[in-house]
Amino acid sequence: MDELSQETARSPRPLLVVDGVSKYFGALAAVDNLSFEVMPGEVLGIGGPNGAGKTTLFDVITGLDRASSGHILFAGDDITRAGPERICHAGIARTFQLNAGFDTLSVRENIEVAAIYGHEAPVFPGFRVRPVIRRRVDEALELSGLTDRATTPAGELAVLERKLLMVATAIVTQPRLLMLDEPVGGLTQAEMDAFVAMLARIRGEGMAIILIEHVMRFLVTLADRVLIMHHGERIYEGRPDDLANDRRVVDVYLGDGAADLIRAALDPGAAP
Amino acid sequence: MEVIVQVIASGLTLGAMYAVAAVGLALVYGALGMLNIAHGAILTFGGYAAFYVITSLGLPMVAGVAAAVVVGALLGLAIYVVLVHGMLSAPAFETNIFIATFGIGMALENVVLKLFGAYPAAQPLAFDGAVAVFDVFIPVRNIVILVAGILLMVATAWLLTRTQTGNAIRATAQNRAAAELMGVRVRWIYAQVLAISGALAGVSGIMVSSLTNLSPTMGGDPMLKAFIVCVVAGLGNVYGAMIAAIALGLVESTAQYLLGVRFGLATLLVLVILTLIWRPHGLFGRTQVQRL
Repeated sequence: MDELSQETARSPRPLLVVDGVSKYFGALAAVDNLSFEVMPGEVLGIGGPNGAGKTTLFDVITGLDRASSGHILFAGDDITRAGPERICHAGIARTFQLNAGFDTLSVRENIEVAAIYGHEAPVFPGFRVRPVIRRRVDEALELSGLTDRATTPAGELAVLERKLLMVATAIVTQPRLLMLDEPVGGLTQAEMDAFVAMLARIRGEGMAIILIEHVMRFLVTLADRVLIMHHGERIYEGRPDDLANDRRVVDVYLGDGAADLIRAALDPGAAP
Repeated sequence: MEVIVQVIASGLTLGAMYAVAAVGLALVYGALGMLNIAHGAILTFGGYAAFYVITSLGLPMVAGVAAAVVVGALLGLAIYVVLVHGMLSAPAFETNIFIATFGIGMALENVVLKLFGAYPAAQPLAFDGAVAVFDVFIPVRNIVILVAGILLMVATAWLLTRTQTGNAIRATAQNRAAAELMGVRVRWIYAQVLAISGALAGVSGIMVSSLTNLSPTMGGDPMLKAFIVCVVAGLGNVYGAMIAAIALGLVESTAQYLLGVRFGLATLLVLVILTLIWRPHGLFGRTQVQRL
């Protein structure tokens, strides 16, 4: 691990390279010639109005949908045409906006599926769960705070718990890049804070994170860098603190009120 | 009293037989949304595989069962490789695969006809003798069918709920995209599901032919009954299919006794119609499909 981090420190190569990627649905460009990079350990926040192509971008990167043109490189390998399970094994995990758990499986079984198949994908996994896997599942349960709910069927979970379960199933595959699609949408303030605390712990382990979020306060507190999309194109990329000063972002997405709120969130002392 | 025991015994035997055929059908529908019309033909192949190994090769009965399981599983795999693999990502999979397996089923039936001829043959894998229960003689083969059926149900339930492969099958059935993103090779899961279903059909072929006879068209009736069971239970519901199969077996044997043998199937069909009027998604089905 130390060797690895030293190596990345010496030659900072991007973990993910999205190079001129477009995705067309008929004549509509959901993602339009988009390029960006994510460094190891970095947190990139993606925002933008509804229909900006954010989730489509996630689908294209994770292999659920194919890019119409362009290239996607992960850790130096071209994954543009790879299937979702190969991309998962390469080290990208994601969550969905809506619940994507397996309702009749218990919380533990949900995480087990990801733990068993997400990292090495055995052809015949055997009947019993191996101790290594069991330990990793326990860790993921602990990290997500779902230990008490391990035997509950996923279908009976509340909204926050479902979101936590998706994060648990994503991190148990031991990804190098974690992609979160609106992780805190629909949560209360207190729940959101719990989520921020959990992500801070995950981040401490050196995982790179891309997150889509409409809750700007959440986005700007967590992200190292922010990318705002509109009609499939990038209209802003840069530090979160400059976001509220960008005229175009304020006009098409934030509005003046929200821009003030972001300034306030980033610098509580200077609030009007 | 004697009559009641007789009717129940015969109903349970029929039910166990239908259950084994229906669970395979339900499993494939639950996992892939695929109605495998060739299921009946696989069942026929299983019965003939046991017949060939025991009668023509002179091997023991165990080898006959093994042959039925292997041939059934291989045919299931073959259907995956030849049809499902290529059609899975194409639009209207559920309709296309229904028609394609209908064709494969017909072709397989004719292969049996070509290989073994049209004349019915006796299934050598059968047990003679009878056991007296409440002064009623119940043929040993009925008891064997019932016990084997129950064992296979338990094994299937265990596989689905207690093994890692079973969890992956249930996960894939409920949310294919999420399972793929967790690294599950869903195509391999689908191939395994078809093989398991084929193996169950193979064994069910032995059961069916040990009560009647081997003939190239023998798969038609159990296929129809298995389909009825699945519709009554709610398509794709494996546990519902187990319960519905036993219930329909009992209903059929009761109807055969009270109304006459030829009214057995008619009664079943009337019951299906009534069930679907009352509960359009089947007894255990839900409006929002909950698979496996």
